[in-house]
Amino acid sequence: MAENEIAIEVRDVTKSFKVYLDKGSQLKERLLFFKRNKYEERKVLRGISFTVKKGEAIGLIGRNGCGKSTTLKLLTRIMYPDSGKITMNGRVSSLIELGAGFHPDMSGRENIYTNASIFGLTKKEIDARLQDIIDFSELEQFIDNPVRTYSSGMYMRLAFSVAINVDADILLIDEILAVGDANFQAKCFAKLKEIKAQGTTIVIVSHSLGQIEQICDRSIWIYDGLIRAEGDPKEVDLEYLDFMSREMQKSMNTGNSTGACETERHGNGNARIESVSSFNSDGGEQTVFRTGETIVFRIGYSVREKVEDAVFGLGVFNSKGISCYGTNTRIDRFDVYDIAKDGTTEIVLENVPLLPDVYTLDFTIECGDGIPVDYCRHIYKIEILSSVGDVGVARIKHSFLLDDNIEKKEKK
Amino acid sequence: MSTIKELYAYRQMIFSLVKKDLRGRYKGSVLGFMWTFINPLFQLIVYTIVFNHILPNNNVNKYYLYLFVALIPWIFFSSSITIGAASIVAQKDLIKKIYFPRMVIPISYVTSCFVNMLLCFIVIFAVIFVTGAGMNFLALLTLPVIMIVEYIFALGMSLLTSAITVYFRDLEHILSIVAMAWMYLTPVVYSKDIVPDKYLPLFNLNPMTHIIDCYRTVLYDKQVPDLSSLLLAAGLGVFFLIFGTLVFNRLQKHFAEEL
Repeated sequence: MAENEIAIEVRDVTKSFKVYLDKGSQLKERLLFFKRNKYEERKVLRGISFTVKKGEAIGLIGRNGCGKSTTLKLLTRIMYPDSGKITMNGRVSSLIELGAGFHPDMSGRENIYTNASIFGLTKKEIDARLQDIIDFSELEQFIDNPVRTYSSGMYMRLAFSVAINVDADILLIDEILAVGDANFQAKCFAKLKEIKAQGTTIVIVSHSLGQIEQICDRSIWIYDGLIRAEGDPKEVDLEYLDFMSREMQKSMNTGNSTGACETERHGNGNARIESVSSFNSDGGEQTVFRTGETIVFRIGYSVREKVEDAVFGLGVFNSKGISCYGTNTRIDRFDVYDIAKDGTTEIVLENVPLLPDVYTLDFTIECGDGIPVDYCRHIYKIEILSSVGDVGVARIKHSFLLDDNIEKKEKK
Repeated sequence: MSTIKELYAYRQMIFSLVKKDLRGRYKGSVLGFMWTFINPLFQLIVYTIVFNHILPNNNVNKYYLYLFVALIPWIFFSSSITIGAASIVAQKDLIKKIYFPRMVIPISYVTSCFVNMLLCFIVIFAVIFVTGAGMNFLALLTLPVIMIVEYIFALGMSLLTSAITVYFRDLEHILSIVAMAWMYLTPVVYSKDIVPDKYLPLFNLNPMTHIIDCYRTVLYDKQVPDLSSLLLAAGLGVFFLIFGTLVFNRLQKHFAEEL
């Protein structure tokens, strides 16, 4: 197997669907309502080309309806392109629809044979893989029970085990790593890496950019039926996230899912917070940020009566209502100050380590020993995105120091 | 050529679909697999009563056998085209979700009908044996050839009908009428000899005329069938298989979208 042999070649592929406005497939309907057989052509792919080398793993990213799943369906040959050419070299297996042809009344073992045969395996080949499949599914003791007695998790595990053990040259995956419990998912992921190390070409469609970055050598970003960017997953994914946050920004101006929002406020009203806006470190206005980015809030306020010994503060809450951070100028040991005139205050949060979520913010003006002047709860919302899959509230800077006794596997 | 190679690679799928179909067909019914035999047996009884006892001047010797050896192959053919037509539509979940050579489905359907026919032949031989009609072993050697010719023709027709039905669902119902008419236009319940001369060329164009005739020659007349008639049927069968394959391959590209 030469290093630079091509596994998949896609050339100028276009695909459109007919969206029937009112379709009749019966003779009567066809004849009677001849005029009704109108349809709209919806172009899903407008000419995409890419090649995948043998042993390479690529990720297709893009938002819903951009054509990435259609691309995958074309690669599996469930559908055919309207124009252009797709060449696939080698046996293709897909983790798109797991458990195709499973018969509920047949045993797990029989279903392995049926399901694997749909992938084009002969009886001999299935016999050789049977034990691997059963072992991987961890269903040894249930394997001779009818599949209808399985839980949905068991069902998926069996289906995944068959599909992943086909030993395909090209593996196509659509959002599958959501199979079973966390343990099994980790196992699937490890198996995927193993398969990749064996030289299998992999194409993944996923919303989890983290998974793509871990497995793929290359990301292809499809936007509106065209390839918008392609290259190192880390770079393309960032570009994609950036773009998405800008898009979200646009929809926010109308949809209002982040930014200014319903506020509860109380206080004596001597001063009032009039406006809140957020910026990135370059001064560009935005409300969607990435983990680790610097966020600048600009608070505009008006003063009705001089506020002596004023205190500005903020509070950050995640979508579960957990207080993630809160502080004010008193906590920060500012010298005592008064506010007498309208003005603006900027709060700079540097390298915010918060993990992806929608965050609600409180901004406050108080005076003296915490007497509220204008205490605005939930006055603003921001969203944080990230391509890393870590979990929790905030990213703690960390490193793993492995023992010297651990043998590192050579990357093939 | 690549189609054949691919189908060969998917032989296990064809095998398991045939098995599933045969096992699943009568699942849940009390008599189960016996229905495979009961159904043609009762058809035989009805036709025998009508054509032998009610309609006069039918002086065919052992009419039940005369009919039976033609009826069983006919049932194979007619179910291949009528129910076979719906086979792709019936498997739409599979087709929309996963790739495999689409021809696998009509092939396994026709094959399972074929296996059914083979099982019914056990009954035919039992009847021949019990009634002491006897058989000609030399002629019997040609029986597999006739069966293969019929299989090829049935498969060609089934590829054609199953693919078209995806786009035009009425075909399924139209075909049940066509199948009935076709049966009476094929010498199944009567002899080819009584067909008026002016219609004969038309009858000869019908591959089933030759196929049924061959079955009857071997099993009823106990003679080796006329080679030219068998060759003609084979030629027509192959023509329809190739034509069916071409049409099927052309139409199958949009199955996933139409279903």
